[in-house]
Amino acid sequence: MMNPAHPAAAAPVAAPAHGHDDHAHPATQRFILGIFDDEDVLMEACEKVLATGTKIYEVFSPYPIHGIDDVLGIKRTRLPIAAFMFGCCGLSLALFLQIYMLWSDWPMIIGGKPHYAFPAFVPVSFELTVLCTAFGMVITFLTVSGLRPKLKVQVMDRRSTDDKFVLAIEQTAKTSLPDLTRLLRANGASEVNEKEISKK
Amino acid sequence: MSSHTSPLRTPLVTGGKTYHDVTHDIARHVENPPNLRWLAALTVSLLFVGIFMYSLYRTLWFGIGEWGLNKTVDWGWDITNFVWWVGIGHAGTLISAVLLLFRQKWRSSINRAAEAMTIFAVICAAMFPVIHMGRPWLAYWFLPFQNTFGSLWVNFNSPLLWDVFAISTYFSVSLVFWYLGLIPDFATIRDRAKGPIAKRAYALLSFNWTGSAKHWSRYEYVSLILAGISTPLVLSVHTIVSMDFATSVIPGWHTTIFPPYFVAGAIFSGFAMVLTLMIITRETFKLKDYITLEHIESMNIIITVTGSIVGVAYITEFFIAWYSQVPAEQYCFINRATGPYWWAYASMMTCNVVSPQLFWFRSLRRNVVFTFILSIFVNIGMWFERFVIIVTSLHRDYIPSSWVMYSPTWVEVGIFTGTMGIFMTAFLLFAKFFPVINMFEVKAILKSSSEPGVFPKRKPSDTAAPVRQAVSPPAGAGVNYDKEQ
Amino acid sequence: MQETIKYWKGYEELEQSPEFVRQAQNEFPDFLPLNGENGEGTSRRDFLKLMGFGLGAATLASCEAPVRNAIPWLNKPETLEPTIANYYASSYFTGNEYVAVLVKSRDGRPIKIEGNPLSAITKGGTSAKAQASVLGLYDEARAHNPLVKGKDSDWKTVDGEIRQRLASASGTVALVTGTIISPSTKRAIAEFAGRYPNFRHVMYDANSASALVKANGGAVPGYEFAKADVVVSVGADFLGTWISPVEYAWHWAQKRKLKRENPQMSRLFAFESIMSLTGANADVRAAVKPSQLPQVVAALYARIVGGAGVTLDKTAEAALDKAAEELKAAQGRALVVCGTNDLASQTLVAEINRALGANGTTIGAPSYVRQGDDAAMLDLIQQMNAGRVGAVLVAANPVYDHPQGKQFAEGLKQAGLTVSFNDRSDETAALCEFLAPDAHYLESWNDFEPKKGFLSLQQPGITPLFNTRQLPESLLRWAGSNANYYEYVKATWKGLGNWDQIVHDGVLQTGASLLTITPQANPMSVSAALSAASASAGSGIELALYEKVGLGTGADANNPWLQEMPDPITKGTWENYVAMPRPMAVEMKLEQGDFVTVSANGTTLTLPVLVQPGQATGSVAVAIGYGRTAAGKVGDKMGANAFPLVTVGDGQLMLAATSGVKIAKADQKRIELAQTQTHHTIMDRLVIQESTLEKYRENPREVTEYEKLATSEGPKAPGEVSLWQDYEYKNHHWGMVIDLNSCIGCSACTIACQAENNVPVVGRQEVVNRREMHWIRIDRYYSENPHKPKDYDAMETPADQPMVVFQPLMCQHCNHAPCETVCPVLATTHSTEGLNQMTYNRCVGTKYCANNCPYKVRRFNWFSYNDNEKFDFNQNNDLGKMVLNPDVTVRARGVMEKCSMCVQRIQLGKLDAKKEKRRPVDGEIVTACAQSCPTEAILFGDMADPNSRITKALKEQHRERAFHVLEAINVQPNVTYLTKIRNVETAKTAEVPA
Repeated sequence: MMNPAHPAAAAPVAAPAHGHDDHAHPATQRFILGIFDDEDVLMEACEKVLATGTKIYEVFSPYPIHGIDDVLGIKRTRLPIAAFMFGCCGLSLALFLQIYMLWSDWPMIIGGKPHYAFPAFVPVSFELTVLCTAFGMVITFLTVSGLRPKLKVQVMDRRSTDDKFVLAIEQTAKTSLPDLTRLLRANGASEVNEKEISKK
Repeated sequence: MSSHTSPLRTPLVTGGKTYHDVTHDIARHVENPPNLRWLAALTVSLLFVGIFMYSLYRTLWFGIGEWGLNKTVDWGWDITNFVWWVGIGHAGTLISAVLLLFRQKWRSSINRAAEAMTIFAVICAAMFPVIHMGRPWLAYWFLPFQNTFGSLWVNFNSPLLWDVFAISTYFSVSLVFWYLGLIPDFATIRDRAKGPIAKRAYALLSFNWTGSAKHWSRYEYVSLILAGISTPLVLSVHTIVSMDFATSVIPGWHTTIFPPYFVAGAIFSGFAMVLTLMIITRETFKLKDYITLEHIESMNIIITVTGSIVGVAYITEFFIAWYSQVPAEQYCFINRATGPYWWAYASMMTCNVVSPQLFWFRSLRRNVVFTFILSIFVNIGMWFERFVIIVTSLHRDYIPSSWVMYSPTWVEVGIFTGTMGIFMTAFLLFAKFFPVINMFEVKAILKSSSEPGVFPKRKPSDTAAPVRQAVSPPAGAGVNYDKEQ
Repeated sequence: MQETIKYWKGYEELEQSPEFVRQAQNEFPDFLPLNGENGEGTSRRDFLKLMGFGLGAATLASCEAPVRNAIPWLNKPETLEPTIANYYASSYFTGNEYVAVLVKSRDGRPIKIEGNPLSAITKGGTSAKAQASVLGLYDEARAHNPLVKGKDSDWKTVDGEIRQRLASASGTVALVTGTIISPSTKRAIAEFAGRYPNFRHVMYDANSASALVKANGGAVPGYEFAKADVVVSVGADFLGTWISPVEYAWHWAQKRKLKRENPQMSRLFAFESIMSLTGANADVRAAVKPSQLPQVVAALYARIVGGAGVTLDKTAEAALDKAAEELKAAQGRALVVCGTNDLASQTLVAEINRALGANGTTIGAPSYVRQGDDAAMLDLIQQMNAGRVGAVLVAANPVYDHPQGKQFAEGLKQAGLTVSFNDRSDETAALCEFLAPDAHYLESWNDFEPKKGFLSLQQPGITPLFNTRQLPESLLRWAGSNANYYEYVKATWKGLGNWDQIVHDGVLQTGASLLTITPQANPMSVSAALSAASASAGSGIELALYEKVGLGTGADANNPWLQEMPDPITKGTWENYVAMPRPMAVEMKLEQGDFVTVSANGTTLTLPVLVQPGQATGSVAVAIGYGRTAAGKVGDKMGANAFPLVTVGDGQLMLAATSGVKIAKADQKRIELAQTQTHHTIMDRLVIQESTLEKYRENPREVTEYEKLATSEGPKAPGEVSLWQDYEYKNHHWGMVIDLNSCIGCSACTIACQAENNVPVVGRQEVVNRREMHWIRIDRYYSENPHKPKDYDAMETPADQPMVVFQPLMCQHCNHAPCETVCPVLATTHSTEGLNQMTYNRCVGTKYCANNCPYKVRRFNWFSYNDNEKFDFNQNNDLGKMVLNPDVTVRARGVMEKCSMCVQRIQLGKLDAKKEKRRPVDGEIVTACAQSCPTEAILFGDMADPNSRITKALKEQHRERAFHVLEAINVQPNVTYLTKIRNVETAKTAEVPA
């Protein structure tokens, strides 16, 4: 299932990476990428790696892997709370609009109904609530996750949006490539690559 | 999504697909140049758009006197089409939101197209309330602005104003929901893209998505909450549309049964339209393995159920009319069935109530051609339902002296067929440049619900060495990866 | 260009340059090139230039005219204030019907006709024709100059030519006119006759009553229906078109208005061939063929005076017995009228009335509005063709509206001199060498004596718009006198009282009579009459010709308001048709709208069929007044001219053909008739309520059915289960009460509203598309045959001889208005005075309000109806626009409109009151419809004022006759209707759903 002609195939660790580069460009980070073909294998690998005390920089996958949050210790997002808040804003805005406009600003006789006809205000209130919730939450999500249109996108391994599961470990002064490589291979990585990307 | 599935369940994706095959099968259409059939279809749809433009010009330049409306029937094809399109627009969000909440995995391969359809249908629908106005250039007065003389605001008692809020909310939220789903797939296409333009275009579209675990976990919460709020939203939209009629005093309109009845009808017609489109897509883009008979059957079942609900609603209306003992009310419904517009009523009944019952036969349920024809029937029937409700209620209401007949002019017909052109054009463009099937969701369910044997569970020990050989790319490729962009 | 014109006008007015004033005198300034008459041949731009100048001139000139020698109606300063309307008392008489009117003039422009309440004859009522006459003033098709052989000329040349040619005329000098009731004009004619010895004056009426006149000693008897408890009409549509409908309608209504203590009503029997307005309002109606009308008279004579009668069919016999019996019982309170122009019948009717002691009781001072002599006219036509007439001066349109029009046209060729006084070069004028155009009545001074001893003055509201001159003035010129006609009229009235007062009142009633009518003996003996009338009727298909309430004899055919006015009975507009009873249509396999050829008296017409309930079996009816060819672009080629079908009897013109009538299906594509109502029965709904006098006498609380709603605490009136606390209307609460007993369906209100509120005309095709714009419509329903409840098919088909009921329907100004609730932009809201008001400039045109209106009274501007060539009526040219009421917005395309209860009048009334630091007095503010109503069926007032008539009426009629249309949906209208009460045996009303 591996496609040899795949453009994104990265170099094996054996090949001497341009070691001097990181001195030449301090503005870059270097990563060890464990490429996996299967989410379950990746999960196990993650546990193993963490067990050795190595910090996992990030895991990239073509679709959400369930349970990996706990493994990587990703905190539960507070977006739902934000959503609720936005909802409340929407509701109060709607009620304010309607009551102010039809009741206090210019009360008019409309079909003999009272100026403050609450039942008639329900639909708009609901719609505005939903609108604010949706937009507020999504915008928050995009901002906090730094998701915005960019002409140039840096990815660890292009196949990670296709069929590969990528486990990235940041190289620091004290990380030893061979150990990590061995560790990853032992845990089922189909390849282990080295990767250097410029800091954002 | 839960990874639990019953081993007894028939596979949702057939043909032993791997993750990469999924990507390839779906992204292929985006990457390859358009085929002739697609171009032909596009030309035809653009032709209809032309018709729309001309009819619209006649309407706007000379006034809606160009239509067949009169002093008694002030809404005709215009609002009929409006309600019809809105109804169609319901399936998309329903499939993605409600089925998501109900953990219906089979939705994965159809929700993308269904949502797209929703968006386009709502666009078509939203045009009618504007162009049916006497002075469309003042449409912005629907929004709560102060008027030029001071604080004259809008009337929040008017169902038409509720519509404005409902439709716009529904449209924008659906759009967001749909686009959010597209982001990871755009990323996939971006990473496969060859040409510089495609690279940059999809880079922009993909919102800098990398598929990191943190993003994925937030992403899932967001889609879940969106689904949560979209579900009542979907129901509210057609409820509010139905209130245009339910809150009035006209016999045949003034009916409390309308909200549920309209929503059922909306789902009914929406699913029919989804089927129509999905069957076409499935054939033209060879996606039989993703849109399987399984999908078609489940949708047919929903159509049968909603169709029957609508049928019950029709009968209830009659009962209530009789029970109310209000002469005008009673006459209204007798007139529907036996009056001058009996043919509209008859077509409605056969298409909406009788025909879906054929789906009780499994063979017909799983027959693609039959399903396709019937899905079109259903939409014809649903159009007639709206026509019956609007026109036959109005043309003979309270005061017999004002009773009239109504028939459309070619301008009205042109506008209606024109919106179909707009709808098809939009859908064709979508099918060509966007991934018609939600790749990441399909991949997510691939392992759990595709045919056994494709994914042999591997032990870490026998991590295939050959694989390593297989990958022997030019040295330094990985390192130079950044520089090549 | 519009701008420049306005500026130019204004500038001139500012300047007051003598140059301009001089130009103002002659319509077309010499420095502007003009080829061809009224602008044809010149570019539209030029035409508008001229017209613009004309307007400027007219407006300026008119500013002085009334001030010089006229007194405003209300005690206003004599200088004309801009934006303040003045009312001038005047009189409407165009050879057909007489109405005493007030001319509402704004900024020097007459814009509205109102009834003159001081008139003892018309009592402040008007007719549709009178209401529409103001638009006739601004008719583009009128001649702008005297014409010689169709070329524009000037009075000097014309006068010179004519004087000299008259002097040298060989043979008689004949003057042909319609009925003339003006003493001064008659004086002028006499003066003219004095100058030309062999002069002959012939009067004829398009819808002739010469037999009636002959049989009654030279004048129409002064019928006073207000004194009659039993009225029998034999083919006389006295409520719609016969002689003096406005006067008669008022009189008749006096006996139809119910008082609560000891309620009395007159009873009306109608024998007629067509379904007429009178028949529609009759308590007992029998349809007979035209040829049977004389027999009916003979039979009635036999029953009342004695002698051998004739026997007719069962229904007619039964009706006759009843009628005769009641007539005899009501000696001195009974009246018989006959509309057939048949000397025998009229002689007998005169006898019957004498026998009933009607003379001096129900018949008073004679009326002069019909003096036409058919025999004389026929004789003249012979003379002309024999070449014995040297000069023909014609102030009528015989070529169009006389059955021998062709012969008349031939005769004109023989005459050495032919002069027409018509206001346009119409069918007759076009054949005359000279056209000396008469001025419009709103441009003229004149005096009338419609009834012996009832004098009436005609006062101009504006100086002539075009270079026209009144007929009498022309005659005086040619008689060699230079008298100013105004002074001439004044002289006629010398010693009759204070001239200023007379001009102010417009009417004078001192018993003095100015007209001298030569009495003539009835040439026919009663016995001869009896035998003639009893002669057996024809057995074949017969044709009845009738006048439509709107268009009349076709003189005003170019008036779009009248063309588009729905006929009260058929609801048809813009055309005439063959009214055919259902059985005949079925037998001939004809659907409504199919074309048939009708041949009679050697003429054949091709017209569409209209299935008409109430049309006498074996007969069809066609309306006269259509098929004009030279009336103007609005009136031409509408329907077909039925005058040639008129039967020329011995010395009488009969508006019927009783023998040799052929009807055949024509192979022409079926068309849709332009009717404003296509469904004719009430479908057993509580839209209209009616009952009988008997029931009302038994228990007034039983005559009206009030729907109740089922609630947990038992049935309740809809108003009691209201969801909300209702608003209080503390200051004013405007409302209307409409008495279905008094409403005769004449449609004067429809036109009055159109004039007051600038309601556009939409044309035939748009009426077919069901988009007419009238703010107040008169719904007309036929009763259906007895049927089982919920048998909808039976309900939908009217009876062949149905009862008829009329219901004026305008915006009901609901206090729980459904339209207000649904308007998204608040374009229609409720005023604090209970009015449902429409804000045009806020309306975006969703039409939701119209859908949600249970009464369907909202009207939408589907197109732009002004400045739009597609709707080339009065709102598409500068002249026609002068009739617009400046107080009312001209609605733009795409907005909704509807009855505003004449809010502009309400505001004006409130302001006037405010200026005088008082509250408006009841009756001071009147809506256009209420003002125009000849029977006072519409009562408008302030329901918050405890002493107003409307409050009293509502209190008095509460839970008795007062009801709201569609009360069950609890929209709480401010318009209340009073149940119609018929004076018939209860048994008969079993048929009528109530």
